[in-house]
Amino acid sequence: MADPKEVKRLQTLAYEMRKKLITLCGHYEGIVHIGGDLSVTDLLIGLYHYGMKVDPKNIKAPTRDRFILSKGHAAVSMYIAMTLRGYFDFDEIMRTYGRLGSAFGEHPCKIQLPGVECSTGSLGQGLAIAVGLAFSARVKKETHRVFCMMGDGETCEGEVWEAANTAGSYKLGNLVGIVDRNKQLMTSFDGDYINLEPYADRWRAFNWNVIELDGHDMNSIVDAIDKIPPITNPKPTVLIAQTTKGRGVSYMEHQINWHAGSLSKEDTEKALADIEANYAKLGGGK
Amino acid sequence: MKVTWNFGSFLSARSVAGDTIIELAKKYPNVWAITADQGGALKQYKKDFPERYIDVGIAEQNLAGIAAGLALEGNIPFIFGMIPFMTMRACEQNRTAICYQDLPVRFIGTGGGLTSGAGSTHNAMEDIGIMKSLVNMTVLSIGDPNMVRDIMLLSMTYPHPLYLRLAQGKQDRMLYEPGKYEFKIGMGLTARDGKDATIFAHGEMVFEALEAADTLVKDGIKVRVIDMYSIKPVDKDLVIKAVKETGNVLVLEDHLTDCGLASVIADVFADAGVYPKKFKRLGIPQVYAGFGSGEELRKKYGYDKTAAASAVKQMLE
Ligand SMILES: Cc1ncc(C[n+]2csc(CCOP(=O)(O)OP(=O)(O)O)c2C)c(N)n1
Repeated sequence: MADPKEVKRLQTLAYEMRKKLITLCGHYEGIVHIGGDLSVTDLLIGLYHYGMKVDPKNIKAPTRDRFILSKGHAAVSMYIAMTLRGYFDFDEIMRTYGRLGSAFGEHPCKIQLPGVECSTGSLGQGLAIAVGLAFSARVKKETHRVFCMMGDGETCEGEVWEAANTAGSYKLGNLVGIVDRNKQLMTSFDGDYINLEPYADRWRAFNWNVIELDGHDMNSIVDAIDKIPPITNPKPTVLIAQTTKGRGVSYMEHQINWHAGSLSKEDTEKALADIEANYAKLGGGK
Repeated sequence: MKVTWNFGSFLSARSVAGDTIIELAKKYPNVWAITADQGGALKQYKKDFPERYIDVGIAEQNLAGIAAGLALEGNIPFIFGMIPFMTMRACEQNRTAICYQDLPVRFIGTGGGLTSGAGSTHNAMEDIGIMKSLVNMTVLSIGDPNMVRDIMLLSMTYPHPLYLRLAQGKQDRMLYEPGKYEFKIGMGLTARDGKDATIFAHGEMVFEALEAADTLVKDGIKVRVIDMYSIKPVDKDLVIKAVKETGNVLVLEDHLTDCGLASVIADVFADAGVYPKKFKRLGIPQVYAGFGSGEELRKKYGYDKTAAASAVKQMLE
C-alpha cells in the first residue's frame, strides 16, 4: 500500500505541473501538445519524483535510471516534471519554449538540452533505443533501470513490436515500458479505425510482465511502481496506464481537437479553475 | 490579444489536396485516400468515402505496403501524411514495394523543408534527395494551390509513382492566376522573365525568389525566376536556356543544398557541357536545423529573400 503522505506530496506536484502546463499554453502562441501532456502528467510525476533514481545535480551519474520519452510530442510535460525536480528553470521555459535557439523545443533534443536522455519526436523509435540501453546495462553489470514512455497510438508502429520481441526474447528485466493508454490517436479514437484491444494481452504474448493501473490515481501509480520486479526478473515489465487525453481540463478531455493548441486568457483561466477544483476534491494536498 | 486555437482549427482549414481528392473520388471509383493517422486534410473525404478511406494508425511502413497492394489491383491510392515519416520511415517499402513494381501510388506530403517549426524530427530537408533517387519515382514540389489541384487531376492518367511535396498544404499562397498556365510533369515555369541572372526555386521558395527579384528591380537588375516544380523529371531545355541567356544561376530551396534541386540543375548543365558564369546554391547546409519558425530558420541559414537578393548582386559584381 502506498504511503498516504507520499501520495499527497505527489498529488501536489501533479497539481503544480498542470498549472505550469496551462500557463505555458496560455503564453506561447504556437503548438503545445496539451492533450497528451495532461494525460502523462501524473505518470511523469510518479516516475521523476518517486519511481526513478535520478539526480538533477549529477545528470551523467552512471547509476541513474534512464528515461526515454518515446512520445516526444509530450516534451513540455517532461520538461516541467524535470523542472519540479530541480533540473531546469521554468521562467526560461516560458521565455524560450519553441522559439529560435531555445533548448526547449517542441520535441526533446538531447544535444540542446542536457538532462534529456534521448532525442525523440518521430514516434515508434524509443523502445528499441531503450532495449539498447538495457542490453548495455546488463552486460556492464549496472543495476539501474531503463524506462520508456509510449503513447498507445504510437504502438501501432511495427518497430515497437520488433523491440518488444527482442526485449521479451532476451529477458530484459531491467527494462520498463509505460504506455499512456488514453485511447486517442491524433485524428481518431481507438476503435474508430484501429482497434488496439485486447491491449494488455498483446504485451503478454510478447513475454512481458504486465502491470495495469489508473494513470491519474497517485495511489495506483505508486503501487504499480512498487510492483515492478527486480532487474533480475526474466521478463521486461510494461505499465499499462488507463488515462484521459486532456485530463483535468473539462473542455479538453476526450476531444480530438485538443491533441494540441494554444489558449486565450479566458480559456487559460477556465482551465486553471478546473485544476484548482480537482485539487480541492483531492483535499488540496491535506 | 491571444486567441485560443487548437488542432480542430487545423483540421477544418481548407486544403486544396483535401478538396481535390473528393473531386477525384467522385469521378474515379479506383481512387483511395489512405493515411497513418495524418489525414488532417481528409476530414470531409472520410465522411464521403468511408469505404475508400483507410487509417492504419501510426504505421507508415504498413501504409506503403497497403498502397502497393491496392495499386496492384488497379487502384490509385493517395497517401496523405507528414513528409519525414512518409519518405523516411517507409523508404524501403516506397522503393521496393512501390517503385520497383512501378505502381501508380501518389504521395501527398506536407511540411516541406523547415516549415513545420517542430524541430529536426519533423523537418523535411532530405526528402527530395531520397525520393528522387528512387527509380521510377516522379518528384514534384508545389506551392501554388491551383497547381496542386491541376497536378492531382493530371496524375490520374500518369502510370508511375508520384511524390508531391507541399509546404503547410493548408491555405498556401496563390501565385498563378487560375487557368492561365499549363502545368505538366517534366516542365518548369518561367514565373518572371529577366536577362541578368536566373533564380531557380520550388514550392514556397518561389515566393521568396519573386520577392528577391522585386527588390533587385530597384537596382536595375532583371532576374528571371523559374518555378521548377517538376524536379524529377526536370525541364533540361529550360535550364540550358537560362544558363545560356542569363549566365548567372542561383538555386534557392527549402532543402539540403547538396541533394535537392541545386544538384539536379548542376547535373543538367554539367552533363550538357554548358556552364554558367557563376553558380550558387542557397538552402539548408549540413545541419540539423533545430527549433524556430520556417521564416526564422530561413533567415538564420541564409536562404530567405534578402539572402537571395544579395547573392544575385554578388554574382553580378
Ligand atoms: C512516425 C511518426 N508519425 C506520425 C507522427 C505525427 N504524430 C504526432 S503525435 C501523433 C499521435 C500520437 O498518438 P499517441 O501515441 O496515442 O499519443 P497521444 O494520444 O498521447 O498524444 C501523431 C500521429 C509522428 N510524430 N511520428
